Amino acid sequence: MHASVEQPHGEQDVQPLLVVRDLQAYYRTSHAGVRRAIRAVDGVSFAVRRGEIYGLAGESSSGKTTLIKSIAGAIKPPLEIVGGSMEFAFLPGYGGLHRAPPAQVERIRWRHLSYIMQGSMNVLNPVRRIRCSFTDFAYPHIGGSRQQFEQQVVAHLSRVRLDPSVLSAFPHELSGGMRQRAALALATICRPGFIIADEPTTALDVVVQKEVLGMIRGIQRETGSSVLFVTHDMGVHAHITDRLAIMYAGRLVEEAATAEIFRNPLHPYTQNLIASLPRIGEDAPRAGLGGAPPNLADPPSGCRFHPRCPLAREICSREVPVMREAGAGHRVACFAVNGDDGA
Amino acid sequence: MVVFLRDLLRYRAEFRIGLVLVAVVLLLSVLASFSPYPPDSVYVVPPDLPPSLTYWFGTTSRGQDVFWQLSFAIRNTLLFGGTVALVSRLVALAVGLVSGYKGGWIDRALMSVNDTFIVIPLLPVLVLFYFVMRDRISWLMLALIMACFGWAYDARLIRSVVMSLRQREFTQTSLFSGMSTRQVLTDEHLPYVVPILFSTTMNNMVWSIGLEVTLAVLGFTDINIPTIGGMIYWANQHTAMVAGIWWWIAFPTIAVIMAFIGLFLLAVSVNAHIDPRSRLWNVGEAS
Amino acid sequence: MNDLLLDVRDVSKTFVRGGLFSREEIVAVNKVSLQLAAGRPEILAIIGESGSGKTTLARMILNMVTPTSGRLLLDGTDLAAISGSAGRIAFMHKVQPIFQNPFESFNPLKRVERYLLMTRRRFAAAAGGSTAATAVDAALHKVGLSLKEVGGRYPHELSGGQLQRVAIARALLAEPKLIVADEPVSMIDASLRISIVNLFRTLRDELGISIIYITHDLATAYYISDRILIMQKGSVVESGDARAVLTAPRHPCTRQLREAALLPQIAGGGANASGTTQVI
Repeated sequence: MHASVEQPHGEQDVQPLLVVRDLQAYYRTSHAGVRRAIRAVDGVSFAVRRGEIYGLAGESSSGKTTLIKSIAGAIKPPLEIVGGSMEFAFLPGYGGLHRAPPAQVERIRWRHLSYIMQGSMNVLNPVRRIRCSFTDFAYPHIGGSRQQFEQQVVAHLSRVRLDPSVLSAFPHELSGGMRQRAALALATICRPGFIIADEPTTALDVVVQKEVLGMIRGIQRETGSSVLFVTHDMGVHAHITDRLAIMYAGRLVEEAATAEIFRNPLHPYTQNLIASLPRIGEDAPRAGLGGAPPNLADPPSGCRFHPRCPLAREICSREVPVMREAGAGHRVACFAVNGDDGA
Repeated sequence: MVVFLRDLLRYRAEFRIGLVLVAVVLLLSVLASFSPYPPDSVYVVPPDLPPSLTYWFGTTSRGQDVFWQLSFAIRNTLLFGGTVALVSRLVALAVGLVSGYKGGWIDRALMSVNDTFIVIPLLPVLVLFYFVMRDRISWLMLALIMACFGWAYDARLIRSVVMSLRQREFTQTSLFSGMSTRQVLTDEHLPYVVPILFSTTMNNMVWSIGLEVTLAVLGFTDINIPTIGGMIYWANQHTAMVAGIWWWIAFPTIAVIMAFIGLFLLAVSVNAHIDPRSRLWNVGEAS
Repeated sequence: MNDLLLDVRDVSKTFVRGGLFSREEIVAVNKVSLQLAAGRPEILAIIGESGSGKTTLARMILNMVTPTSGRLLLDGTDLAAISGSAGRIAFMHKVQPIFQNPFESFNPLKRVERYLLMTRRRFAAAAGGSTAATAVDAALHKVGLSLKEVGGRYPHELSGGQLQRVAIARALLAEPKLIVADEPVSMIDASLRISIVNLFRTLRDELGISIIYITHDLATAYYISDRILIMQKGSVVESGDARAVLTAPRHPCTRQLREAALLPQIAGGGANASGTTQVI
């Protein structure tokens, strides 16, 4: 089923930067004698190509946060990787950051893989000046003299339109937008091949959000990095991502070029999601989806969307649909679209 | 409540150990009611006998059975600690809830009183009381004085919790559901304060018993009522350690240490168990 | 009797930050006036970025914050003159809030129906006839739930969308004339959001409740509101018919917001140019 993702496309480098295969990440807990497994990510496969912004959209209980944690190697109990692999091109042979030796991971972080989070305070140490954060994270990877490094940082900050004076500021002295831009500069100064962006603009005001998104796009183009961009905001996805995957209840349901998803959504969940978004200038009433996202400790059998699905049929509650090619670069996991032989 | 205790017993080893220790100490104190000798009479048994089958914990130089004396002493000491804890908890709860919820000038007034009590050094004050009152100082009065000094820090703790609860949206939902201030405090906020109340009760008892022992050993209390400190005081008066009557000091010390450790373990385990954060362990947020 | 349901006249709110030596005054709301007519229910959207004063304005209308200057009249009653529990109950009988975070709107340690029953008992005593349980069930039915679904449940057992519906049902039990909803859908999942937004329209049309809808999201504001108020740094910079303001914004601030709003549609070219070339 990865053939569709890895097929050559145009002049681009064909080797994907990250290949996630059939990943299963569960939260296993034992509380007051009751054992539970929350199947937050249950069989997810996708690939992020070089130089693209790959979007991941999903609701609050879709498992996208768990997926990000797994890819970033931030796996702490009760979270466990139960199956599958996550292979980075720059870290071959381990099947995920969590399996690589810590020294190896240390070398890769910031140099090849970096993060932009929703709360940039997590990256920027609140009691140290911004300059210290840059020296701590980036200097070991860049090396050279201190002056050269400082020049490089200043030059890089100008790309996100920050004045060199922010280097002497503490994170709390900056506005939310400036902080997020500083975090962006920090994440990109080593020109990493892969950037994980987890809701990087969700906490920002709309005007600042657009500006920061523009900068992410600009730097990504310049450095040729791949970005895994996670947000629940479809507007942001439409604005910045190249390809988009829709996640529902721990599984991917659809993946295609972003424009294709918005123009021609195939999965009933995606269709409803796109159709329910209000747009300025359109007055037609929009219908929401009934029901609620499932509880991942006890998900519905078969296709996890079937209790809410208008196209549900008998097979949907019995078998799990697999992602199938439904058009050029367009994969979807739905029996109604792929036909009953989908399994 | 039954389920709650069963869970505690089943899943928390600290709770089991603490419970056993406290139960032993409590059993000892309950036995005081069955003592063959009144607590204040002396020379009822032969003096200075080491522990034996007749006198389990030996006898004192004053002709008292250490076992029965200890059972009176631990009962009085626990009663003292309990009284201090109860009275000071009530004050801390009232001040903390009102101050944290009402805010404004009420908060400022209460907190200035509160801070005054925090900064006054307690031991000199108690010694001063003793020198002024001398023999008229009863254990109840001492308990009340200590309760006066035991609430202030915890009231601040409760106040800070209530202040943060007040900012949360559910407090507004409660108010817009037509609840009165009293209802919001007792029904909505109190469940968050109870864990604090629990753990501070145990801590407060440990604190007040420790202080009472200190005062009694120094002779600054009514030495005719047997307490743990009182027993050690009399043992010192009779130079028990020098004379080799080690059981006169050892058993009260062991009893009070058991009570301390037992109360501490109960406080820690109960607190961990009823912490709302651990009770709110749930599925929905683990995405 | 009174032709204005809500009359906000030149209200300002100044917060003082700092201690004895460094006092800093922050004007959160600066001379804002707005009116809602009685007997003609409407949805008024108040739009602004964070720090624009929209939440402070909402809290003043809910009488949770006292204005530094200006007056607020609700159905002819001055909010500053409300005192005592009877006055408070009478006020809450007319205005009810919906909050942003549905998971925080209910005490996590209590069952949710407690708030519904409490509201019913306090406010709708005069309604008579039905028992509290049937009234609660009826209110839940108006928001697409039932007592069977939420009865005996704790907040963490319900989804954000369900909780927000329960919050709306609770507000309805007080039979208010005005609901002040502060970012009511910003924390609701995308697939449930539009249903909640549609619910507000139903409340207006079928129950005759006016709604003040506070948001930063222009698209939903355009979708449901009749009138719109754009705030910036504590002041109202533009107001008027929602469609007119958002399709042809006049104030630079509104224009900036309008342009920055990321709309869920592919514009063709622009930021996605590389995306499309890459995929083909």
